[in-house]
Amino acid sequence: MSILPWLVAAWLFGAGVYGVVTSRNFLHLIGCLTVCQSSTYILLLAIGYRWKALAPIFYDHPPGATTVDPVVQALVLTDIVVGATVTALLLAMVMRVYRESGTLDPQALAPLPSAKD
Amino acid sequence: MAAELVPLTVVLPLIVAAAMLAGAHFLPSRLPDVIATLTALAVAVACLALARHTLAHGPLAYWFGGWTPRPGVVLGIGFGVDPASAAIAAFVALLFAASFVFAWGYFEEVHAHFHILMLLFLAAMVGFILTRDLFNLFVWFEVMSVAAFALTAYRLETPSLAGALNFTVTNSLAAFMMLGGIGLLYARAGVLDFQALGSAVARRGHDPVLIGAFCLLAGALMIKAAIVPFQFWLSDAHAVAPSPLSVIFSGAMVSAGLFALAKLSVQVFFASGDAQFLIHNLFVGLGCMTAVLGGAMAWVQRHLKRMLAFSTIAHLGVMLIGVAAVSSSGLAGFLVYFVGHGLVKGTLFMLVGILLATKTSVDELELKGRGKDVWPAGLAMALAGLLLGGAPWGVLDNGAGLIRVAGDHALGVWATWSILFGTALTGAAVLRATGRIFLGLGSDPGVQADAPTQSEGEKANRPLWLMLMPCVVLLALALAPSHEAQPAIAGATALLAPALAAHSSIEPVLQHPASMPAWTSVSLALALAVFHLNRDRLPRLIVGGVDLATKPLFKGLMRLHTGLVGDYVMLIVVGLAGFSIALAFR
Repeated sequence: MSILPWLVAAWLFGAGVYGVVTSRNFLHLIGCLTVCQSSTYILLLAIGYRWKALAPIFYDHPPGATTVDPVVQALVLTDIVVGATVTALLLAMVMRVYRESGTLDPQALAPLPSAKD
Repeated sequence: MAAELVPLTVVLPLIVAAAMLAGAHFLPSRLPDVIATLTALAVAVACLALARHTLAHGPLAYWFGGWTPRPGVVLGIGFGVDPASAAIAAFVALLFAASFVFAWGYFEEVHAHFHILMLLFLAAMVGFILTRDLFNLFVWFEVMSVAAFALTAYRLETPSLAGALNFTVTNSLAAFMMLGGIGLLYARAGVLDFQALGSAVARRGHDPVLIGAFCLLAGALMIKAAIVPFQFWLSDAHAVAPSPLSVIFSGAMVSAGLFALAKLSVQVFFASGDAQFLIHNLFVGLGCMTAVLGGAMAWVQRHLKRMLAFSTIAHLGVMLIGVAAVSSSGLAGFLVYFVGHGLVKGTLFMLVGILLATKTSVDELELKGRGKDVWPAGLAMALAGLLLGGAPWGVLDNGAGLIRVAGDHALGVWATWSILFGTALTGAAVLRATGRIFLGLGSDPGVQADAPTQSEGEKANRPLWLMLMPCVVLLALALAPSHEAQPAIAGATALLAPALAAHSSIEPVLQHPASMPAWTSVSLALALAVFHLNRDRLPRLIVGGVDLATKPLFKGLMRLHTGLVGDYVMLIVVGLAGFSIALAFR
């Protein structure tokens, strides 16, 4: 297997984390979090990939034919569903924050502002 | 018969939650409270029955859909029930039942939505504890997290939303790390079942991919378990969550993260030298740091829920020392401590909820002397404070004793002192708050005056006795004379079975005498609390000297907790880098 997908996964994760750390807008931050998540998709698909293999659907090819690993594809599907849930929840919270406070800057929204600042 | 009970522990709360969602708008207002409490109790009874059964007849495996493993091929997803897992699941369900009683009528205007999310949360936690499949563990981890995120943001005000956002971002990152770790492990082993993974890891030996997988999985679970330097989200989330929810967060959710870490360490990575190196050297140290740091941060808080949140961090550090000792007594200590801490911390969060409902404040300085008319709560809080500070009665102390013995063996005097300071400081913080709120002592706040605070209140629609009842029950359980450690040791040994079979060098049961007198910790806690409450009466020279020595330290610690999610994620990355640096020393 080529090392390229592993590098891409690491790069995406790093880029996403960099975005989360430096973000000044919650919408942008959620986008960066999604980039982090994409790295796990690449990693999983790369792990299950086989050269010159078929899709793991045995309807039109004989049992025993070489296919890519269906387990990791199931993992990725589950992960996509979970990711969509979390992103939707985050976006709903961010909308609510904007309506309440009129800002999306994490630095203006620290949960418990110090008494003497 | 017993095997049929296994799926029921997860399916029952899920079905009840779905049925409640369908009928949410028709149900009479108090019915969801009754149904949810009964469901949680039923799950607790089922898990307890499983624990008793497996203690007598050995561990049980349940394969969903009848996909039992064939020789060499494990395709199915299974639950593995051993006495320890079942007992912990039973305790979690019991805590949910207590929390439902405490929240009676509190959430009535949202129809049954609070109960639905809580039942989902309960099902996820039971699944998380009982599963023996790594990907299934991830799914429950996520279900648990999503329910928790939504419940934290329940109040929909800016502070609670900001706390929930920090919680969601850090814990989602944990989920991605976990999935990455699972992927790496699967790349090498080709299976996801704990037992099969364990033998695959043993076959591979030294392998950088497996180490990467372990670091990612351990990091993810430590984010959930709030271990230094991954702990920052916890104080923000606990401080803003409604108090019935904080009971579950502190008492069960975070310690469940540690439970999963313990299970992975002894059932999957027992044969990986690198993983064991990290556990024995780095994790014990992290546990000590967490205990001391959490204790110190709890001591300086004035926001009561935030104080309890930091105290939870300190106690998680103590639990990590027990887990990282990888011995029967360490693990047994962890299991007993899990239960004891959950009982005491659950009580304390409920007592703060009582103050929120009757006095509409959580600020210790603001509440000074105002608690006199709810004195029964004060009595309960003093007792819980003493237990938290290490008074030698009941379950918590029993667990602490076992962990101290194991920690002594693994790390020597460092573990003993960290446990002593962590528990004494958190106990002192609670005792000080009790003295100030219920007796009106302590006019000089000292360093507490600079701590962050927030004005808030909770609905006062419940009679005091109804709110006190679950507290009294939990405290009575925490005080149960349980100096018989044998079932816990048996449970821990069953959990450790794969590791014990692989290398017999793990000492099965350690028999060391306790290294310090039983009253040391709680005496220190009392002394600290009395000193702080009498600051205005003591000579200026002593008080000033103590302030000069400690204030810069406390202020520096407070400055670290910025409340900014970017900083927290940065420290998570630093923590992960720390894992690899530690490995370089092997």
